[in-house]
Amino acid sequence: MKDYKIYTKDLNLYYGSNRALKDVTIGIDENKITSLIGPSGCGKSTFLRTLNRLNDTIDNVKIEGDVMIDDINIYDKNVDVVALRKRVGMIFQKSNPFPKSVYENVAYGPRINGVKNKKELDEIVETSCKRAAIWDEVKDRMNDSAIGLSGGQQQRVCIARALAVDPDVLLMDEPASALDPISTAKIEELMFELKTDLTIVIVTHNMQQAARVSDKCAFFLMGEIVEYNSTKNMFTKPDKEETQNYVSGRFG
Amino acid sequence: MLHYLEEELEQLRKKIIKMGSLVEEQVEFSFRALFEGNLELAETVKSRDDEVDKYDIKIDKHCQRIFALTQPVANDLRLIMTALMINSDLERMGDIAVNISERAEDLVDYSDLLKEMRVDEIAVKVQKLIKMSIDSFVNGDAELAKNLIKADAEVDKLDSVIFDLLAYKMKDNSELIVAGMHILTLVRNIERLADHATNIAEDVIFMIDAKIIKHSKDPENLENKDNS
Repeated sequence: MKDYKIYTKDLNLYYGSNRALKDVTIGIDENKITSLIGPSGCGKSTFLRTLNRLNDTIDNVKIEGDVMIDDINIYDKNVDVVALRKRVGMIFQKSNPFPKSVYENVAYGPRINGVKNKKELDEIVETSCKRAAIWDEVKDRMNDSAIGLSGGQQQRVCIARALAVDPDVLLMDEPASALDPISTAKIEELMFELKTDLTIVIVTHNMQQAARVSDKCAFFLMGEIVEYNSTKNMFTKPDKEETQNYVSGRFG
Repeated sequence: MLHYLEEELEQLRKKIIKMGSLVEEQVEFSFRALFEGNLELAETVKSRDDEVDKYDIKIDKHCQRIFALTQPVANDLRLIMTALMINSDLERMGDIAVNISERAEDLVDYSDLLKEMRVDEIAVKVQKLIKMSIDSFVNGDAELAKNLIKADAEVDKLDSVIFDLLAYKMKDNSELIVAGMHILTLVRNIERLADHATNIAEDVIFMIDAKIIKHSKDPENLENKDNS
């Protein structure tokens, strides 16, 4: 499916005998923000984690179907999972900086990917921090521990760390749910800027956030996609009654 | 939150229905004042306009509160937007009822001329459209709203006939020019009532089908006109 950056076809995922994803077929556009919404336990985070094979680390998980990124099935045996996760970065709900300096956090990825030259590392750290809109706040605190930063700053350092290995897809699992409105706005503005270079898929429970930031929106319910539509339609005239009920807070 | 929103939307719907009934009655009273020469009723219409204005403000504030507190989307959003638009049309219709009542005083001695100029006919047609517009909102009936939009053409046609009749009458008898001018203005007002009813029908179609059809000439051919 050359039209899409990411394409899943008949994707099923089982935790033991529990089928958490049911025949999920979806095409995700390049350089767009796609939000995944749905009540807790509907499979949206599980789906997100199939896109960088993070579910591989969980015991007893079985996956069927195709997950194509740039027309390559990422579940093929010859796919290098480490290289895949370099291309498909991930940001989690709770910021998770390493207990190291800001500089070492951002330089970590390039370093393990073989960049040794100090000047080159400095450049990568600066560029990544600028892209993550955190440079001005940390440029004089590069050697301070990242743990000492505010929650919003920590989350942007994590984004800078993900960007440092130059991914082309960024997965975000409720990246702003623990942040105050100002920090949330910064993350959202950052997403708008990043989508010119990246394809972003975000899981969010915040309907207003999905409406504000995403171009397209997929509504998951009990492991299935009920509706996949432009965000504009999703919040003004959804095709399905279940979507209307969910986005207006009538269940979920 | 859900219960709160449902409750607020129901209250809003009730307010619109009440305002619709009030305005419908104001229009009916203004026509009775006009055709029966009942100036007491004309005064009633004028004094009750404050009540219409109060409803107008109440509904505006209610919509503002729901927007601010619940950030409505989809069907709920369209209902509130529609309520705001219908409110504005109803308020204007209330003002027109007052204008008609004022005109009733000027035309109190011309009931035969009003009949000869077929003003009673256009008034009946317009009242029917107003009733259809309110019913289409109350029952969420898009078909009724579409029928109303089509029926508005009959009012426009009769408006044009009345214009010609009046022009002929005034040419024929210059003593009727002043009364004729009053009737001309009156009929313009009545025709505007039909336009407001049509606006309400368009809003109801937006509320139900999420299609914007205002400025469209053909309500049946909606698909190409949807610029939402």
